[in-house]
Amino acid sequence: MMLAAVLLFLALVLPGLPLGQWRAFALDTAQFAFLISGLALAWDLLARTGQLSLAHGAFFGLGAYAAALSAPALGTVPALLVGGAVAALSSLLLGLATLRLQGMYFAIATLAFSEVMRTLVLKAQFTGGSIGLPVQPAFGGAYPLGGYYLAVAVLVICTLASLLLSRSRLHYAMAATRQGEAVARVLGVPVVRVKLVTFMISAFLAGLAGGVYAMKTLFLSPYDAFGLGRAVEALVIPIFGGLYTTTGPLLGGLIIVSLETWLRLRIGEGYLVVYGVVLVLTILFLPKGLMSLFARRKGARHA
Amino acid sequence: MDLLLQTLINGILAAGIYALVASGLALAVGVVGIVNFAHGEFSMIGAFVSYLLFVGAGIDPLISLGLAALVLFLVGAITYYGLIRPVLAAPELNQMLLTFGISVALQNIALLLFGADTRVVSTSYQGATIALGGISFGVPPFAAFVLSVGLLGALYWFLGKTRLGFAVRAVAQNRLAPGLLGIETQQIYLLAFGLSAALAGIAGVMLSVMLYASPTVGFAYTLKAFAIIVMAGLGNLRGVVPAAIILALAEAFVSTYVPGGGGWVEAVFFLVIFLALTWRSWRLS
Repeated sequence: MMLAAVLLFLALVLPGLPLGQWRAFALDTAQFAFLISGLALAWDLLARTGQLSLAHGAFFGLGAYAAALSAPALGTVPALLVGGAVAALSSLLLGLATLRLQGMYFAIATLAFSEVMRTLVLKAQFTGGSIGLPVQPAFGGAYPLGGYYLAVAVLVICTLASLLLSRSRLHYAMAATRQGEAVARVLGVPVVRVKLVTFMISAFLAGLAGGVYAMKTLFLSPYDAFGLGRAVEALVIPIFGGLYTTTGPLLGGLIIVSLETWLRLRIGEGYLVVYGVVLVLTILFLPKGLMSLFARRKGARHA
Repeated sequence: MDLLLQTLINGILAAGIYALVASGLALAVGVVGIVNFAHGEFSMIGAFVSYLLFVGAGIDPLISLGLAALVLFLVGAITYYGLIRPVLAAPELNQMLLTFGISVALQNIALLLFGADTRVVSTSYQGATIALGGISFGVPPFAAFVLSVGLLGALYWFLGKTRLGFAVRAVAQNRLAPGLLGIETQQIYLLAFGLSAALAGIAGVMLSVMLYASPTVGFAYTLKAFAIIVMAGLGNLRGVVPAAIILALAEAFVSTYVPGGGGWVEAVFFLVIFLALTWRSWRLS
């Protein structure tokens, strides 16, 4: 909560700081970090129901393409909402077929889904196929900082969604579903509906972040927008930071994206190796993420 | 008519290697209870073992098969012992995340070591074809098919006729009882996971000749193997062969008869997964 407030303050004043020649780089990196952290928060929402989604990269990409294609006709903000809605709709279809089944079926289906979305976008005509799709900047380029503040807004929305959901009745339904589906069902939790609603909210937020990302990079290609890398980022950040919390993904996002940016500059292709290693080490040695370190110090408080 | 026959032959030949990869995955899922997202990466390692042996020492892929199987058995055993065993009691989410992490790490380590280029093991018999009447097929796919059938036969014999095979199946059916009966459950897990990786590695050697070795070559096979075992029922070894034949035939028919089908082949496995899951979830409700 504290961290979120500090982060918001920093995010708002960052463009005004006297950074000299580093300003453009800092803003660009920060914008990327906000979007990826938002994506990570969205992923964590679904993880609270015990589902492993490998499709959040695809929702991000769907949101990016939908927003980019509809922005010239609708304007920036409605286009972003369209991006979120398209992602949410696809998650509904995917969820209806798979969320009744055991968790591992869902994980496999989401992985296959993200691979197929890339094939579809590559094959389709209106998306520019493998050539890619040029995107207009946010608000037609009228405000140089427009994209930056949109990214801040997305992060705020994701953070608020995460905080509100962890204080709602749905939170208990989600936790019950995660800890034991059969028991939850006996207790009267509509398990499938809880998972489906969470999945849609989660996908909507991911699509929203994707739309802003499109307006940031100004160019989309299926390999970038639907690459598995995005899905990996979306899940490594919450796990590293601390699952089922709001602060965890925020903290993890800051650390991991900084690390990623540095590594991209150093070794280029193959930087994802860090994600794999961090993921394996975290699961083995720190399964509750960074947040567990703080929780222990403060005396076993519930996150 | 010839076209139809040719499509059927292509499909059946491809099914062999699919069944090989998927049987390995079914062992990991069925016996150890681990959804192994890194399964295709074991194939990738196998493909690179074959490539390195061929380029470095001129060893024919047919001989590399045995070596790759051995190497991958060890890799699988080490992976099980060092990484999988600690999370056997953890929630399913953690297990899947762990194997996914292994997959990402292995893919990118290969990318750092070898770059993204595709490397082919070009043997003298690579381009050879067999012609029968109006249809023809390459020697490598045919050899891979025959080998796969032989290996699958050996696997079924092992599981169906030997004492050790009985032990493996007992562990697959029940976590606790075999331990009480004096079966060393941990060793069976180790054996099953090693075998699973070895099967993937052998398939990888075949891929290095028929396709190529590259850091991402295995990933597509992870997905296809998943499509197959989802169709067969997770961990059901008996259903793997028919499921592999269905997937391979579907892909062959799409690539022959759908206009511009080359790219759509990559979507067939998803359709298969999606239909299988929808069917399962309907039957459930």
